Amino acid sequence: MTVKEPTEVAHHTWTQQTFMFLCLLGLFWLPLNSVDRAFAAGEAVGTATNAIGGFMVVRSDGIEEQLEGKGALPLFEGDVLRTEGSSQAMIEFNNGIKVALNENTMFTILSRWEKGKGFTRVLRLKHGEVWVDTQGGPKPLEIETPVATAAVKGTEFDLLVSPDGQSTLTVISGVVEFGTAFGTCPIKTSKISYGNRGKKCTKPTY
Amino acid sequence: MKDATAGFLMFGGVLVWGLFSSCTTLPDKPQGLTTKVYIANESSSSVSVVDGTTFKVLGEIDTLNHATHDLSLARNGKHLWATNLASGRISVIDTDAMETIASIYTGKRAHVVTLTNNNKHAWVANIGDGTISIIDTSIYRILGTIPIQGGPMGIAFSRDGKFAYVSSKDKFVNVVDTMSHRVIKRIPVGPNPHFLVLGPDGRIWGTNTGSNDVYMIDPRRNEVVSTIEVGPAPQQIAFAFKGTSGPNAYITVAGINKVVMVSGNSPTPAVLGQIDVGEGPNGIWANSVGTRLYVGHTKSNDLKVIDTGTNQTLATVPVGRKPIRVVASQ
Repeated sequence: MTVKEPTEVAHHTWTQQTFMFLCLLGLFWLPLNSVDRAFAAGEAVGTATNAIGGFMVVRSDGIEEQLEGKGALPLFEGDVLRTEGSSQAMIEFNNGIKVALNENTMFTILSRWEKGKGFTRVLRLKHGEVWVDTQGGPKPLEIETPVATAAVKGTEFDLLVSPDGQSTLTVISGVVEFGTAFGTCPIKTSKISYGNRGKKCTKPTY
Repeated sequence: MKDATAGFLMFGGVLVWGLFSSCTTLPDKPQGLTTKVYIANESSSSVSVVDGTTFKVLGEIDTLNHATHDLSLARNGKHLWATNLASGRISVIDTDAMETIASIYTGKRAHVVTLTNNNKHAWVANIGDGTISIIDTSIYRILGTIPIQGGPMGIAFSRDGKFAYVSSKDKFVNVVDTMSHRVIKRIPVGPNPHFLVLGPDGRIWGTNTGSNDVYMIDPRRNEVVSTIEVGPAPQQIAFAFKGTSGPNAYITVAGINKVVMVSGNSPTPAVLGQIDVGEGPNGIWANSVGTRLYVGHTKSNDLKVIDTGTNQTLATVPVGRKPIRVVASQ
């Protein structure tokens, strides 16, 4: 398996201008809501606020809903979110966490509950690329890939998953606890780490 | 010199105090077995707890999920891990408090959970997703998934932990290299291979629940080295002794409502006997010294305690609905 060089990551297909546009739009489109809420079944956990191109939400009963342009499509536990080629989307969770999906991205909205800690929002990223902003301070969010998990500690980061599961984490600001089954690596601002099947995550590089 | 002497005396004092204090924590006589038996009740979505010595029900734990199916107990007995087929989630149970303390989504039709030999990870077979989820048992975080062809059903690890064996509905056992998390071999077995367990001789024992036989895999060759017919719909396996005989494999055979005893250490296993039990025997576990069997019955909703010395039933304990898996503390 070939590990991508950091320079390759810098040239991936993410369109920076579109991305910034989506981020700014996300900031103003929805009022910030930092109050944690129970992720009860049947209760919306967030909203899809904007999409460019094909963006689909597959509910747990198989019903498919689409969003084109600006909107407020409610999201629920168990939903599968999917973008097609040349498409992007922005969503916001009830606790203020913003997630932008790049093209050909697919993840499922899940959660974990622990007594005394409550719920942690979990996104299971099957493939594609997400940008995450936890909006001021630590929020209980983890992103699982086929080979690794990124646990957020108040931060902004980008996670890219290749078809073979190789996961590339780029931390824009803050700290992300990045781990595979073979070890954990805290990754700080402006650092990159790679997760591959059967290996510990790589040491942070620029 | 004075300082050295004083230091030495202080060290000696600490040592004596340490020895004394550790001695005072030892019991004044050997303690009896304090086995706790845990039973997963699939249709009650709960875990019954039974005292393995008095056979009294100690409680029933709500798993906070649906269709509780399989159980795996940490070596120290503190945490019990339970799969929930309908929820696709794992429940983590604090056995002292007898309550669920975490709920983790792993995948569709979460079927079986097995702890790695060092108990650091829990491997969960998700039939519906065709994956194994790997959970860090200290922080309950999923660290990765392993794709398994054909619908993963059961999981067991080799003695040295180098291999995981995963049975799949397409009549294979998949050998996973635990260092690379890749399937390195697929071993053909029989119809609906379900339960897998590490035997006392280091072989992996499995049941072909869709047929009538049990197979044994040698981890040195990763091949089936022996099979034996035990009756229709064999379910689960435990290892225990009958007097001087053993360790023997005790297999619940649902099609004939019996537990079948097979020689456990022989290269060519033989059926040694049968024990009549209740309707729908499924989960089975032996106490740590191999003198008692705890058998769950999915139709009569109870647990039978069997004395392996006489094959007699010592107690029948009502539990929840459809008790399907039984484990016990050391």
